[in-house]
Amino acid sequence: MMDVKRVISTIERKYIVNNLKKEERIDGRGLWEFREFQISTDMVASAEGSADVSLGESRIITGLKYDIGEPFPDLPDEGVCTIMAELLPLASPLFERGPPDEQSIELARVVDRGIRHADCVQTKKLCIKEKEAVYILFVDMYVINHGGNLIDCGGVSALATLISAHVPEGKYTENGIEWTGNYLMGEDIVNELPLVLTYGKIEDMVFLDPCLPEELVCDGRLSISVTEDKITSIQKSGSATFSMDEIQMLGKKSIEIGKELRNKLDLWQYKVKIE
Amino acid sequence: MVLIIKDEYPDKLFREDGKRLDGREKTELRPLKMEVGVIKNADGSAYLEWGNNKIFAAVYGPREVHPHHLAKPDRGVLRIFYRMATYSVFDRKRPAPGRREKEISMIISDCIEPVLFLELYPGTAFEVFIEVIDADGGTRCASTTVASLALADAGVPMKSLVTAVAVGKIDGEIVVDLSGIEDKAGDADLPLAITWFNDELSLLQFDGSMDADEFDTCLKLGKEAAEKIYQIQLDALRSKYISIQESVNQSSNTSGGDE
Amino acid sequence: MEEDESEVQEDDEFEDEETTRELVVPGEVLTEDVNNFLPGRGTILNDTRDKIISLHIGLKQINKNYINVIPLRGIYTPQPGDKVIAIVVDKNPVKYRCDINAKDDAQLKPKNTARRGRPRFGRGKDFSRNQRDDSNTETFDIGDILIVKVLSADRLNKPELTTVGKYLGKKNGGIVISIDPPKIPRVIGRSGSMIKMLKSLTNCNIFVTQNGRIWLRGDNIAYERLLIDAIYKIEREAHTSGLTDRIQAFVENEKTKRGIK
Repeated sequence: MMDVKRVISTIERKYIVNNLKKEERIDGRGLWEFREFQISTDMVASAEGSADVSLGESRIITGLKYDIGEPFPDLPDEGVCTIMAELLPLASPLFERGPPDEQSIELARVVDRGIRHADCVQTKKLCIKEKEAVYILFVDMYVINHGGNLIDCGGVSALATLISAHVPEGKYTENGIEWTGNYLMGEDIVNELPLVLTYGKIEDMVFLDPCLPEELVCDGRLSISVTEDKITSIQKSGSATFSMDEIQMLGKKSIEIGKELRNKLDLWQYKVKIE
Repeated sequence: MVLIIKDEYPDKLFREDGKRLDGREKTELRPLKMEVGVIKNADGSAYLEWGNNKIFAAVYGPREVHPHHLAKPDRGVLRIFYRMATYSVFDRKRPAPGRREKEISMIISDCIEPVLFLELYPGTAFEVFIEVIDADGGTRCASTTVASLALADAGVPMKSLVTAVAVGKIDGEIVVDLSGIEDKAGDADLPLAITWFNDELSLLQFDGSMDADEFDTCLKLGKEAAEKIYQIQLDALRSKYISIQESVNQSSNTSGGDE
Repeated sequence: MEEDESEVQEDDEFEDEETTRELVVPGEVLTEDVNNFLPGRGTILNDTRDKIISLHIGLKQINKNYINVIPLRGIYTPQPGDKVIAIVVDKNPVKYRCDINAKDDAQLKPKNTARRGRPRFGRGKDFSRNQRDDSNTETFDIGDILIVKVLSADRLNKPELTTVGKYLGKKNGGIVISIDPPKIPRVIGRSGSMIKMLKSLTNCNIFVTQNGRIWLRGDNIAYERLLIDAIYKIEREAHTSGLTDRIQAFVENEKTKRGIK
């Protein structure tokens, strides 16, 4: 619609709200419809796994790097997977240079929690030697274009990156850690496929996958991470309040839509083969 | 903790058949692909794949300068922000910009400034954000090339595009367009950029050792290579519009045939 | 304000007979014949004064002995007299700060927002208190969309706006979209042909302004969406010829495809 500006015009909000009341959205989608996902993986040669995911006009390029470090004392036999997000000033005039702000931290945290609590990354397989050496995986998301709903885009992007992973496998010897010549592949690391679904709320209307103008005018958002049959994390942001009924309805709907989306995306097709 | 695989350099940078490690001749460029208008939110944008280098550039502006004291009352400023993604290099890079990135930003900004008419935009700034997604040698040249393309895509008045390329010496031989390994293990590296409106050099750095004759050959080979890249740049800029034109002509021809 | 009409009746320079469809890029040599041609808009003489070169990606146009380049991308430069769509981004007692899609924000002073018609006196105002009487001027809020006229604009000062005049003032409904400002003449078409066609086919009110913003309002969202798609198609294909006919065919096609009559 209009240029992305810090100030949203009053008529833009009115226009979106009035049409939502008639169950019409500005881009012609239904209330519970996602925009088109476009996924390609393993295009960054320097990374041990990467994905380029577009959701409508939003685009995130994610890469995976690894390091070997000591495990946390309370989890001596588990590796670590950290997720970082950067809202590049290249992606939108709304993003500023400088250290990560609340928005980028929220994006990373919500995606991270969705993956962490779904038993997605099998951290036990990332252990080389108990109490001594484990893998630390860094999943870094870079937003290339901001077209709204970065959380859902980032969730798929992080997941596709982990699936496309090919991390050199190490074994522990007295001289240090040696490369076995094999790789830890995506299917060794990833177990469950959690998806994040974000709903926008304006006044009393709730809808899936807000695009940029909708996201800018909406009162609040609810992000629900779901696996095949379970809800694994929820994040409410913005100043809107949600009723109990709404949340129950959205929880059920999320599992339903999540199942459909999981089948449609068929993320396992993006695993990498190494000769 | 010890790294599993070391980033090792080979002893020889030429294969037995006299070609370079990636199979190129001495004056051959790596495959190049450029595209403009890839980032919709930006005023102008470009994407470049140069060998394994993958770089995005976006232009915003002219717009207000933040912080305000950087604004100049009589002219605009060109601010370039060159950044590398954490996963673009062999060892994970720290997310915060380092000294190298700041230096390269400044170099690129100085390099592109001569082709712009900044005096027409007092008190404002053109901001060019360059994001290196994947790096494999020669990113400063690739970034300069893609930044000038993004500025042209934004419709900023400019005297000409700027093209940059690196020339260097590996194992005693002069070669064009150093790859990552050749850059690190080679003897000398000479990135240069040419502003085409006056055919002069606006970026020049040199590290290594060379005698005067070798240096002359370098400059000559660099100019020849840059000319090839310049044509690809121009094609990328035109193709955005020409492809639309062609699809329009095609559809009007087919619909004409139906009637 | 339903009767809004775009007053802009500018000639479509893209369709000018002298405009070749030749696409030129920055730095491209347009002619070496400097004796017969002069550098016009979007071009300069090079340092050695023997070539005319282009400054933009654009279309080459020869007008008498001037060579111009019509840019395909670029920012809006305010000119006094332009009608533009502004959005109020900040306000204080002495001025409104408005974004007009130019490099500087413009300012709108309350004295330039005087209401049309007779001034209203009294009307329950308590003049005994030492209050400023602003009943003769309009008041706006941050985020309001205004149609304004540029009063003054130069390179050094911020542009100044006014809402006094025909068709000017605040918009209460509809939607605003933006396209590249250099492509606005194509949306208008030669002496308004494109805009008239779009209006009659989609039953929408349109107000096209020079800064690349277009206000529109239709009977229902299906028409509005169709019109927006058509405008974006014009923006995309602005450098091609025969645009009006093609857009007409597109709109009619899409109407049957989308099932709106």
